Amino acid sequence: MDVGFSEGQLELRAAVRDVLAKECPPALVRSCLDDSEAWRPLWQRAVDLGWTGLALLDDDNGMGVIELIAVLEELGAAAAPVPLLSSAGLAAGALRAAGPAAAEWQQELADGAVGALCVDTSPGSLDASRADLLVVIAGGELSVVRPGAGVVLAPLDAVDPSRPMARVTVETDASTEVVLPVSVPAALAIPLTATAAELVGLATRVLDIAVAHAGTREQFDRVIGSFQGIKHRLADGYVAIERARGLTYAAAMLAADPDADRVDAWRAAALAKAAAGDAATETTRAGVQVLGALGMTWEHDMHLYLRRAWQLSPLLGDSAALYRDAASSLVGAR
Amino acid sequence: MDLRETEEQRAVRADYAQWLSDFLPADYYDKYADYRWDYELRKAYQLASFEAGWLQPAWPREHGGRALGPLEALTVRLESAMRAAPKLPNIQGVGVVAPGLRSFGTSEQQERHLVPVLRGDEWWALGMSEPGAGSDFAGLRTRAVRDGDRYVVNGQKIWTTQAHESRFATLYVRTDPDAPKHRGISCLILDMESPGVTTRPIRMATITDETFCEVFLDDVEIPVTSVLGAENEGWKVAMSSLDHERDMIWVMNWVEISRGVREVQKRGDSLDDHQLVELGRRMADAEALRMTGYRSLTSSLRGDRSKEFFILKLLGSESLQRTWELAATVAGADGLADGALAFERHDALAATLYGGTSEVQRNIIGERVLGLPKG
Ligand SMILES: Cc1cc2nc3c(=O)[nH]c(=O)nc-3n(C[C@H](O)[C@H](O)[C@H](O)COP(=O)(O)OP(=O)(O)OC[C@H]3O[C@@H](n4cnc5c(N)ncnc54)[C@H](O)[C@@H]3O)c2cc1C
Repeated sequence: MDVGFSEGQLELRAAVRDVLAKECPPALVRSCLDDSEAWRPLWQRAVDLGWTGLALLDDDNGMGVIELIAVLEELGAAAAPVPLLSSAGLAAGALRAAGPAAAEWQQELADGAVGALCVDTSPGSLDASRADLLVVIAGGELSVVRPGAGVVLAPLDAVDPSRPMARVTVETDASTEVVLPVSVPAALAIPLTATAAELVGLATRVLDIAVAHAGTREQFDRVIGSFQGIKHRLADGYVAIERARGLTYAAAMLAADPDADRVDAWRAAALAKAAAGDAATETTRAGVQVLGALGMTWEHDMHLYLRRAWQLSPLLGDSAALYRDAASSLVGAR
Repeated sequence: MDLRETEEQRAVRADYAQWLSDFLPADYYDKYADYRWDYELRKAYQLASFEAGWLQPAWPREHGGRALGPLEALTVRLESAMRAAPKLPNIQGVGVVAPGLRSFGTSEQQERHLVPVLRGDEWWALGMSEPGAGSDFAGLRTRAVRDGDRYVVNGQKIWTTQAHESRFATLYVRTDPDAPKHRGISCLILDMESPGVTTRPIRMATITDETFCEVFLDDVEIPVTSVLGAENEGWKVAMSSLDHERDMIWVMNWVEISRGVREVQKRGDSLDDHQLVELGRRMADAEALRMTGYRSLTSSLRGDRSKEFFILKLLGSESLQRTWELAATVAGADGLADGALAFERHDALAATLYGGTSEVQRNIIGERVLGLPKG
């Protein structure tokens, strides 16, 4: 047992961070709020750099679940407007749960196709309007569908247009490539864990921004971070983030362990996503408060993170629903 | 990153579990509500684990261990917690005083004190808090004046857990009143039987058997050979002592949260949605604590100062309170006359006070982890 990243994973993460620092400034994210094509060059870079290879979720060859969450933490921190979460985390994660029969589509995603996951219980599907292939989970079955005839995409006017949401309806004449049995909710373990990782990364960056501001802004002849009202709120943010990070790592390790019980892995993932959603919404709310009026401006980056946090938190179940489901699965009440 | 147990962990856990089940009475789990108060059993457990090397598993044989690595030692601690092993009757002796003696004690001090405290033959109290110095520990005023080869000590301690049953105490005193307040403190080993020591138990609001006391010190003579650490370096000893205390507390909190969660789960059928959500949160807290404990260990094994460590006390104690709040809500009217439940709920209120209050923990996180300026 070792709950830290390996050298290789740390290097991968640092490399991703460097690229994003240069090529994914907040200005790019902001431009994606009203330019629906501005994400493409960065996505092309992600493909060229091999990040989409994470969709193989190959734990034995250095491109597995652990690498995925290490990378997604960085994408979350940069609020990157690219569909790596939806391709490698959500769509590929669900495909992996369908076993080797789904490997072909994982390969396609690894080669750079954009994937999206549609779950019948979810109100919308992340990045569906950008997707080359849709992984649909409904009634204990997973199907792979191509956008086009028989697939109706109704864009949602959601809070974060830099990664759009759509409601997807699949009709009988859709071009379905395969239908495979999956067990739900176990199939959602990797999608939930991946989403948690992005949220944890995002919350970490938000806390950094808030702490930096609290350490320099002065009022009443003091740095505001010396006021306990501010300090304690940020400390609580730190606790919420580390709580979620620990749960996310636990969920990833269970997902990567072929011998782990699949329901245990799903439960861990549900708790991780619930905790990460809470951490992200709480730290962004605290972030705006610490920034003062600046936090309400278009110009400050905070709203980019806030939009992302609000968009991801209800995905695949909001925190309350996930906590409830995880608890009921143990008490057998539902 | 891999959560799977190593062979060593599995083996050591199995050994310990076997040993524990051989030790415990056959009806231990059925009658846990009674056994948890059974001092004789708890004393016997301490002695037996000392002898078997399970008491401080990372330490050498003569000090109640079996020289296990830190990961294996943590595995044993968590296993013992999970199996609700009997609580050590004077837990701060083994968990706080003994590590302090090992880090700061002279070889004479170690020779004299380590084995008796580990076996449970001599109990110890922690003499830190004073009426005027609680959270502001460094503001302590108990004074030690050097007179040849001894100190003469005058002052008062309070909230000193089990002082009336203890043979010794780590007594924090001011030895240099002119130095800045952190730099003039020393830690002395106080023999509670010394003339001039008066101990008065304080009646607790709950039925706990870990009573705290007032300790009055009137011209108490303590030999200079009884300084733990160097003179005027008591702050360092205290900080290390608090780290050990918090390291002990989170595991205790984790056990209690897990027990509370199981209590609530038993009533599963009657839980409404809101209560299920709360139960899920507490399950997450318990798992997050365990993971944070492992992450903190991983950082320190890699030679990094662990930042995660600082959240353990705050997360554990706050979650413990919420766990018993939930248990009380779920019990509803049945809970009114449930003395055991009322005790858990009440006792949990102390967890956010002892070992440094939650507000102090938030200050520590804000300042030491996030780097924000002092207020
Ligand atoms: C069950 C129990 C056992 C104990 N056992 C021992 C023992 O064995 N030995 C020992 O030495 N002590 C012991 N203590 C004492 C414990 O360490 C103190 O209670 C604790 O340090 C707080 O001090 P205080 O009680 O004087 O409260 P105070 O310091 O007066 O605090 C009162 C309130 O003010 C808040 N506060 C204080 N300072 C700040 C600040 N800077 N910022 C924000 N809020 C602040 C606190 O958080 C708290 O909510 C024990 C306490 C309990 C409850």
